[in-house]
Amino acid sequence: MSGDSLHRRLLTWLLLPMLIVGSVVLWRAWLDARQTADRAFDRLLDAASLSIAEQAQWQDDRLWLDLPPAALEMLASRHDERVFYTLVDARGERVTGNADLPGIEGAAQEASDVVYGNVEYHGMPLRLGVRRSRLEDWRLREPFEIRVAHTREGRDALSGELFRQSLAYLLAVAVLSVAALLIAIRLALAPLTRLRRQIRSRDPRTLAPLELPLPRELAELRDTVNELLARMRRVKANQERFIGDASHQLRTPLAGLSARAELALRQDDPAIWRSALGAMQTTSQSASRLAMQLLSLTRLDNPEYRPELAPTDLVQVAREAVMAHWQRCQRADVDLGLEAPEAPVRVQGLDWQLGEALANLIDNACHYGARHITVEVSADPIALAVTDDGPGIPHERRLLVLRPFHRGEHASEGSGLGLAIVDGIARTHGARLSLGDARETPPPGLRVSLLFAEAVDNESTSAHTRSQP
Amino acid sequence: MISRTLALPPWTVVTLVASLALWSLLPDASLARSTPAAGSGFPLEAHPENASQQQAYDEVTFEGTGESSDALVIHAALDIPYALPLLEDFHRRHPHYSITYRNFSTLDVHQRFLDAPAEADVVISSAMPWQYLLVNEGHAQSIDTAITQRWPDTAKWRQELFAFTFEPIVMVVSRRLEQRLGPVDSRADLLGLLAEARSPLLGRLVTYDPASSGAGYTYAIEESRLSPRYWDLVAALGRADTALVNTTGAMLEGLRQGRYDIAYNVLGSYARERIADDPELRLVIPDDYALVIRRLAFVPRQAPHPGAARRFIDYLLSADGQRVIAEAGELGALHPQLDGPGTATAMRRDFPDGLRPIPLSPGLLATLDELKRTALLARWQREFHDQPVDTRAVEQFSR
Repeated sequence: MSGDSLHRRLLTWLLLPMLIVGSVVLWRAWLDARQTADRAFDRLLDAASLSIAEQAQWQDDRLWLDLPPAALEMLASRHDERVFYTLVDARGERVTGNADLPGIEGAAQEASDVVYGNVEYHGMPLRLGVRRSRLEDWRLREPFEIRVAHTREGRDALSGELFRQSLAYLLAVAVLSVAALLIAIRLALAPLTRLRRQIRSRDPRTLAPLELPLPRELAELRDTVNELLARMRRVKANQERFIGDASHQLRTPLAGLSARAELALRQDDPAIWRSALGAMQTTSQSASRLAMQLLSLTRLDNPEYRPELAPTDLVQVAREAVMAHWQRCQRADVDLGLEAPEAPVRVQGLDWQLGEALANLIDNACHYGARHITVEVSADPIALAVTDDGPGIPHERRLLVLRPFHRGEHASEGSGLGLAIVDGIARTHGARLSLGDARETPPPGLRVSLLFAEAVDNESTSAHTRSQP
Repeated sequence: MISRTLALPPWTVVTLVASLALWSLLPDASLARSTPAAGSGFPLEAHPENASQQQAYDEVTFEGTGESSDALVIHAALDIPYALPLLEDFHRRHPHYSITYRNFSTLDVHQRFLDAPAEADVVISSAMPWQYLLVNEGHAQSIDTAITQRWPDTAKWRQELFAFTFEPIVMVVSRRLEQRLGPVDSRADLLGLLAEARSPLLGRLVTYDPASSGAGYTYAIEESRLSPRYWDLVAALGRADTALVNTTGAMLEGLRQGRYDIAYNVLGSYARERIADDPELRLVIPDDYALVIRRLAFVPRQAPHPGAARRFIDYLLSADGQRVIAEAGELGALHPQLDGPGTATAMRRDFPDGLRPIPLSPGLLATLDELKRTALLARWQREFHDQPVDTRAVEQFSR
């Protein structure tokens, strides 16, 4: 069992209160035992003082006592207590006795009442009983006091015995309750063991939900696990579809290449070979581009992928992208423009990823028949946007186009990965991707913009660069 | 004051015993000094002027052998001839102890302890109430050894106070009287003789004076507790003009000289040895009942040599020590496993119902109660003299 376990926690937090309660009960039992013993033995003091008091009389003008030996023997049990007695007259003077026993202050005034107290006499702890009485004589009613005391051996023995009995009783109860506790904890934790066994005995490849009856607290855990499993099932299905689509996509240009090569080999004309080779180059370029895109998409989709972002100037990125695509667009008779402020707009980002995103967007715009494409950079809010005057995307399909391999209805070229890649890049940069209409009048065109959360302060950037020699 | 120091090489023992035999002819050393002045039995309260008074004692010493000899001081009310066999045997077994044994009267040994509580290692006395009083007040230390734990509960108190002898109180009767009037074996016989008109015992009886002898008072109070008929006996004794004396020795001397025919309440252990050579006297353990005195020993809390004291108590209660007591024959061995002459076991067998050992219990404290004593003595005087006696007169008398 490890250092921290539910079993141990439960035991600790159940046993600790039990221990405290047990100590309180024991303490109480000790007090009770003492009290009971005192009560039992105080009767001896009572009886002895009574039988002495009965012998007190008035004789020869003084208080007189014929001490009954039995009264003293009454005070000694088989534990051989030491015995002391004193007869004190109304003036508080000792008439007779074998010790100067003290009185008890504030004792009850009523006759025939015994007051008890614990006193120390010559270093011996004594239990003292004081009886106030008076002579029942015709002529005079002289008050007097009988004080009797004995040592505590008998009391201690009795209270010890009583306490031992309570202790034995309490120990038995404790043993029983600890046993019950252990069984109860074991029973209460049994569903946890069942759950663990069920999980362990599952086929490691299966993502089927857990089916077993559990108490409420564990049922919640089971449902949470089942939700996680369901999510994993969906992710797995997505991945399988993505792989299917990707292989399908790669197979088409490869098959085209193979057919084109076969066709060219049947001819003898080098001119035809040349044109075939040119076509094959184009196809293989697009295939390799597709492979590149798949690769970057896979990387972007990996939740573990956390690239190191650096301060990047959006204006610079946009300018480079326009320069890279300007010639091709020119040939396709597309007008590619740039709208950007003079000052640099810096964000935390990766310039090559942002360039890739712009490339994809420009490509997409070209594919879907835009004539004017504008790359925009704005400083407030910080955004990077590509606007075209193509057919646009209807509202209801805007979420779908972000999924890999989804293509517009009429499109014939392109992989369908472009917007998915842009989405992945936006997520990497913590930016929000939004699709919108470019114009009010049809065709609406498309405006794809990346809204960045916050700019990188120029000051802090320079400070950052300075700190790196 | 008799003070004798005896250094005892082992080979001088025989001559020593012979010389000590002379002492037995001296007046009873243990109970004899109950003079009227000191005999009230209340040295604590009644006689503060006695506190500084030097107590008379006999002394015997044994030199310890070996390099490291430990001292052992015993203060006792037990005559040296009776103690000597025990001391010799103990010294033979533990020769490295230097023993100083001092023999006092019962009241003096008590007073000596109160004057110098740190002087003696062991205090021995037959005055049971006085010994009990001291131990009850916490003056003794507990001796917890295997031997003291095995000692019968009725013969010890709190592991502090130990009884080690068994000494019946007896009558000594002259055989001439018995030849004339028949055997006197019990109090009933005695009372019968006393009840006769013109009793032949008139003036022929002797007993303790309870007013001036501590031992006599102790027997009187115990007998009065045992039987109410005791007072009939006291009255009868009074009518017969019984002589009152203070010591066993005085009673036995009177018998030997033919002044008395019966001595009532004599300490059997002393009487047995002294009448052994007198065929005219017979020792009678009354077969109705006989009080039994048990000598008590304790170790004071402030004993200077507690280890030696513990060893000696262990010896007193051991089978070895008790066998020495039994063989000496006078004191009576209390050890429950010993049997034969001189043991309590044998005496109990001979008198199955009659022996009444004075119990070791708080009742002894009542014996020492001043008012109780005054009251008892008043009653005793009244019964004895067959007339009401003013208790104040008794008090004055006891002082």
